[in-house]
Amino acid sequence: MKKRGIGIGSMFYGIGYGFSRQDIGAATVEICEDGSVIVRSGEVDYGQGSDTIFCQIIAEELGVDYAEIKLITADTLTTPNAGPTSASRVTYVTGKAMMKAATEVRETMREVAEEKLGMQDLMFANGQVFSMSHPEKNISFARLAKATHLAGRSVVATAWQDITTKDVDPETGQGDAYSTYAWASQIAVVEVDTETGKIEVLRVVAAHDVGKAINPKNVEAQIEGGVATGLGYALEEQILINKGIVQNTTLSEYMVPTSMDVPVIESHIVEVPALEGPYGAKGVGEPALIPTAPAILNAIANAVGVRVTALPANLENLHRLIREQENNNKDKS
Amino acid sequence: MTETIGKTKLTFTVNGRETEVLVDPSWTLLRVLRESLGLTGTKRGCEEGDCGLCTVIMEDRAVDSCLVMALQAQGKTVETIEGMGHEHALHPLQKAFIEEGAVQCGFCTPGMIMSSEALLRQNTHPTVEEIKVGLSGNLCRCTGYTKIFKAVAKGSESGGRL
Repeated sequence: MKKRGIGIGSMFYGIGYGFSRQDIGAATVEICEDGSVIVRSGEVDYGQGSDTIFCQIIAEELGVDYAEIKLITADTLTTPNAGPTSASRVTYVTGKAMMKAATEVRETMREVAEEKLGMQDLMFANGQVFSMSHPEKNISFARLAKATHLAGRSVVATAWQDITTKDVDPETGQGDAYSTYAWASQIAVVEVDTETGKIEVLRVVAAHDVGKAINPKNVEAQIEGGVATGLGYALEEQILINKGIVQNTTLSEYMVPTSMDVPVIESHIVEVPALEGPYGAKGVGEPALIPTAPAILNAIANAVGVRVTALPANLENLHRLIREQENNNKDKS
Repeated sequence: MTETIGKTKLTFTVNGRETEVLVDPSWTLLRVLRESLGLTGTKRGCEEGDCGLCTVIMEDRAVDSCLVMALQAQGKTVETIEGMGHEHALHPLQKAFIEEGAVQCGFCTPGMIMSSEALLRQNTHPTVEEIKVGLSGNLCRCTGYTKIFKAVAKGSESGGRL
């Protein structure tokens, strides 16, 4: 018989390293004479999309076209150390350093522009710098860049963002553990075949507080990837070790989710700003996968009344648990 | 002369170009594409047919090039990601993958695109279920596949390049 169940998994997750461990992001922004922008940071984008986010932040702060920005990352010869891509910290920490560095060069350029245009209420947008009250008083970003160079003003800024926390009291565990926290809930709908123990995850609804979704499509993509990874963790993936040697070293033995395994994933972005993040943003990389396995296991319990306490909840494990439950019920009656 | 000893001539069509190359008969198609022809867009992954990274189109069908011996391609037509499009003239599928955000680390992408293209040649308007089956031989660890399904559906609307 096939039985359906619904389960919820919820989590909160400390962004960055926390517990007084050093956590510093960094970026350098340089304005070239032609108005193009070179940004350097040691932060690595390994697919999660931080390079896109960084360019969006710089474009927003300087009012220039995204395509004008040249981003150089993870080159120890030229980029400031920004710490690793881990702990769901990159947008939150180095994203803020990007914002600070861009703001610093923009404010220098603003002084030059104020002098040139004789106006104070200047805005940087669409590759132009203009007075908000008298928009006809304007100068292109490229010309202002040239003027700033000619004025001998600094067109390079490096900024650091330090979110290292104080730490908690070792006795009570109370105190300043992490700089900020991400929150999420996911709901899974599963169908369990009581004869075979086969589980199909039909749907996952994921609500994530990301502070601010700088790139909503990117956030969705992180959530979808996290759910798939969480699903693999819950149902399929298991490293078999015998005397310290991994026994299943190939992808035919270590099962990861395929296109056939992923359910319909519905993402809901919740935005509760984090004070220290760029525009309030915090991380979503790891939070995306954390609630998935608990939600699935709770849904299994809801469907067949069996509590899985050791992962993975694969066919053989669930089949065994269902049979044990049946035998227990028989013994009782 | 020494380098030709034990080698056999392979004549096949790669991305529309008649190609002749001397190959060691023990080499796979994947190795010849990457190492003899320099077509490194085709990625090398598990080399046992599980991950689909090395997917190319041979005679209009998606194959794992790690499981095809090079000489099995004798006289055949082989297409790789390099034949699909380039930076200034993207294939509709490549465009759709970018627009839908279906690329994260990108390592599975060439194989995904080749499998998608092979699917769309057989089935111009696949359902999501048919897309899932068509891509079931291509693993992706980043995206959760969802945006890839959307990209293939979008690519199919423009009918692929054919």
